[in-house]
Amino acid sequence: MNSLDKHLERRARELYLEASQRIDPVTAGRLRAARRHALAAAQTPKHHLTRWLIPTGAFAAIALATLMVWQPVPHDTLTSPNQAISMSGAGVDMDTELPPDAEKTDPNLYQNLDFYGWLAANNSQHDQPAKH
Amino acid sequence: MEPEDASTDDAAMSSVAGMLDAELLIESAREIPATLDAFLAQVERRAFRMAELQLRHREDAMDAVQDAMMRLVKHYRDKPAAEWPPLFWGILRRRIVDLQRRRKVRSIVVGWLGGGRDDDGDELPAWEPADHGPGPLDRLQDRQSYADMAAAVRQLPQRQREAFMLRMLEGLDVAETADAMGCSKGSVKTHLSRAMHHLRDQLEDWR
Repeated sequence: MNSLDKHLERRARELYLEASQRIDPVTAGRLRAARRHALAAAQTPKHHLTRWLIPTGAFAAIALATLMVWQPVPHDTLTSPNQAISMSGAGVDMDTELPPDAEKTDPNLYQNLDFYGWLAANNSQHDQPAKH
Repeated sequence: MEPEDASTDDAAMSSVAGMLDAELLIESAREIPATLDAFLAQVERRAFRMAELQLRHREDAMDAVQDAMMRLVKHYRDKPAAEWPPLFWGILRRRIVDLQRRRKVRSIVVGWLGGGRDDDGDELPAWEPADHGPGPLDRLQDRQSYADMAAAVRQLPQRQREAFMLRMLEGLDVAETADAMGCSKGSVKTHLSRAMHHLRDQLEDWR
């Protein structure tokens, strides 16, 4: 920086500081009031409740949403055993399906299983026409 | 010969006294007070002058200074006192830029609404808020030099003006100016060099 720049800098700063000292009383009073207002606003106690309200609410909403999405759904509540029996018996071929629950089926069915087998075989022989 | 000698001595004494006053002003401006209240009391008038010089509007300048004070106290009151000057001038600089942008947007909106051209279709000057306070020349009266300097500084591009005002007028060092402007030290030096070159041409009478 040469001497001319230094002179320019010095002169400009002098004028600037001098002009700052010569501010009219009304403006100076308003500046004082603004400063006191800023300092007073900083000394008022902060409302910690309002500060935590938004994060707490957001966390609660996220937790609720997570709970609703990831909650395991029990299969029993969807289809009870009785509903399952009635559903399976309604539209499917009963001849090819075993009873859905052996414990709840009539025990006589299993005791006479041989008889039913013989009956089925005998019926099929009677149904076939005799070949001459 | 004696009366001439006496008048020369008086002039010399007056010049020396003026220089001492200026020295004291500059030295007092560089001291950093220990309390935030004292710091703000020290800088509030200079901040107002700086904002007024850039915004050309007293109420906007007052708003900018008040907002800068509020933000400094709210966010940085626990910082070391040595960090307050660059923080404060940085906040004030951003606030001034915000107000200038807002004014520009307002000017564009006025232009869209048909207020930007006169009856002959010529473009009107950009909208400026009315300033009902006394102008700088009225207030300073015989401070023509300050008015000349202010006019020359206003002609500088934004970044050059900021670098000149923070570095030369406010007396921040290069690092503090860079912090306040949010740029590198090299950028500060470049902006400042260009500003000084421009001002040398504009203020030839000061030589």
